[in-house]
Amino acid sequence: MIVFNNVSKVYPNGTVALKNVNLKINQGEFVAIIGLSGAGKSTLIKLINKMISVTSGSIVVNQEHVEDLRGKKLRQFRRKMGIVFQSFNLINRTTVVRNVLASRVADMDIVSTLFGIYSRNDQILALEALHKVGILEKAYTRADQLSGGQQQRVALARTLAQRPSVILADEPVASLDPITANQIMKDFKRINQTENITVIANMHHVDMALKYADRVIGINKGEIVFDGPSSQVTEELLKQIYGRDITDEDIMFRDQ
Amino acid sequence: MLTSKTPTSTNEKRNVGKILIDFVKHFFERHVIQTKKTRTTTLHDGASITKPFSYAGIYLVVLLALTYYFWDLIVVTYFNVTPFELFVRRIPNFTNIVSKMISDFNLPYLPQIISPLVDTIQMAILGTFIGAILALPVAFFASQNLVKSKIVTNLIKLILSFVRTIPTLVYAAILAFAFGYGTTVGVIATAIFTFGILTKMLYEVIETLDLGAFVAVESTGATKTKAFIASIVPQIMGTFVSFTLYSFEINIRSSAILGYVGAGGIGILLDDHMTWREYGHLGVILAVLLIVVFIIENISRFIRKKMS
Repeated sequence: MIVFNNVSKVYPNGTVALKNVNLKINQGEFVAIIGLSGAGKSTLIKLINKMISVTSGSIVVNQEHVEDLRGKKLRQFRRKMGIVFQSFNLINRTTVVRNVLASRVADMDIVSTLFGIYSRNDQILALEALHKVGILEKAYTRADQLSGGQQQRVALARTLAQRPSVILADEPVASLDPITANQIMKDFKRINQTENITVIANMHHVDMALKYADRVIGINKGEIVFDGPSSQVTEELLKQIYGRDITDEDIMFRDQ
Repeated sequence: MLTSKTPTSTNEKRNVGKILIDFVKHFFERHVIQTKKTRTTTLHDGASITKPFSYAGIYLVVLLALTYYFWDLIVVTYFNVTPFELFVRRIPNFTNIVSKMISDFNLPYLPQIISPLVDTIQMAILGTFIGAILALPVAFFASQNLVKSKIVTNLIKLILSFVRTIPTLVYAAILAFAFGYGTTVGVIATAIFTFGILTKMLYEVIETLDLGAFVAVESTGATKTKAFIASIVPQIMGTFVSFTLYSFEINIRSSAILGYVGAGGIGILLDDHMTWREYGHLGVILAVLLIVVFIIENISRFIRKKMS
């Protein structure tokens, strides 16, 4: 369970990214965070695994106070948090399976890491993760030779190989074409349902968020303006979240 | 307008410097200060963009001026002839030596140089290897994008530039004084040189890398060191091997003369034959060196090409 208590974040340059955010996300939920760019979506995600720290308030994830975590404790905490990035962030010039195995180095000793010696268990774990996202046959291909959608699947497999309890996704499909984006979102949905992993995703495209997430959190200028099941999201609410009418740019499939 | 009158002087060479300074001033006004105002491009719809002022041109001019000035100062002052005269006058000295090398070419001497030649090559290989191994971790700590503390990165960079300032030959000479003559000294000197340049080349590559993968691995709970090994090393491995081979090429050439200062290898023989003016022997050594360096450079270049 992830709990935000009166969380505020002010960046050093004075930008107020989040104001008094209160949230409770249960294990196994699929949450989409929507809002304009600059509304504070990324900040919210980054706070959960302490890529950035809160200015005030507290975040509790599975009974642990995130703001108090440091050094080794923080690293151990992060092993339970998978992140999927908009730009995939794969290691180019190396194979897909090695990319997936990269999420295992946290638990390995330094010598094995240095020589790239992965245990049989880790290798099977990595290959199974690739199988779950349907690109097992690409395991020994170089990562930079894959298409965008395939690369995002590798990133998802890397996260799965970490055996996380939560997957944080920062605009996971924003740089993909609509059809590939749908497939990736289906992967997220399937993993969320079969593995009971909490998925928290920043989504720019409203239609994608409503289609796949069970719960939608709308953010406007650092404040939560809506938090509820995606079925309750109306045109009127979206106007409130976005502070304007929904345009074509906010929708991935124009005819929907 | 900045103008300076040229003082009349009996020393013509001094005037060259004066004229040069005038030229720089003139150049500065005409091309730098004026263009600073006029580098704004206006598009047909009235939108305009100003190109930021760059000092690159000034630096280049100053560098050229300094080069000329010091050349003039040193060569002309000490030899009291123009550089060109000096060069022409001494051409026969050079051709004499070269023709002696060819006419007295002492082929039966060849077997005797094999062993020191092998020493030289071993020195270069071992030195390159040790230097390269040490360069990788230090390059990590010198990379501004990986290590946030500017004090650490700048301190390492400062030390590295000191390391690079001193030539391999000087290292070998100092080490030979301290530890005695022998190939070990050559290996250490070569290693220091390799370490110095490789580290610099590596951290410059690392600093241009996209850190996405590094951040991703770090976000799985890995330490910075492990994230570096898992995400950065695979990305720089090709460049690393290529740079290492390149410095090996340099090391083969420089290790040949390390014997001059007591570091063992073929340099000792070079020194001996030079001193005794045994140009025939010298010819054999140079010919063999030429062939060996040529072969090694080509093998190395071939491997580098295969890799990229």
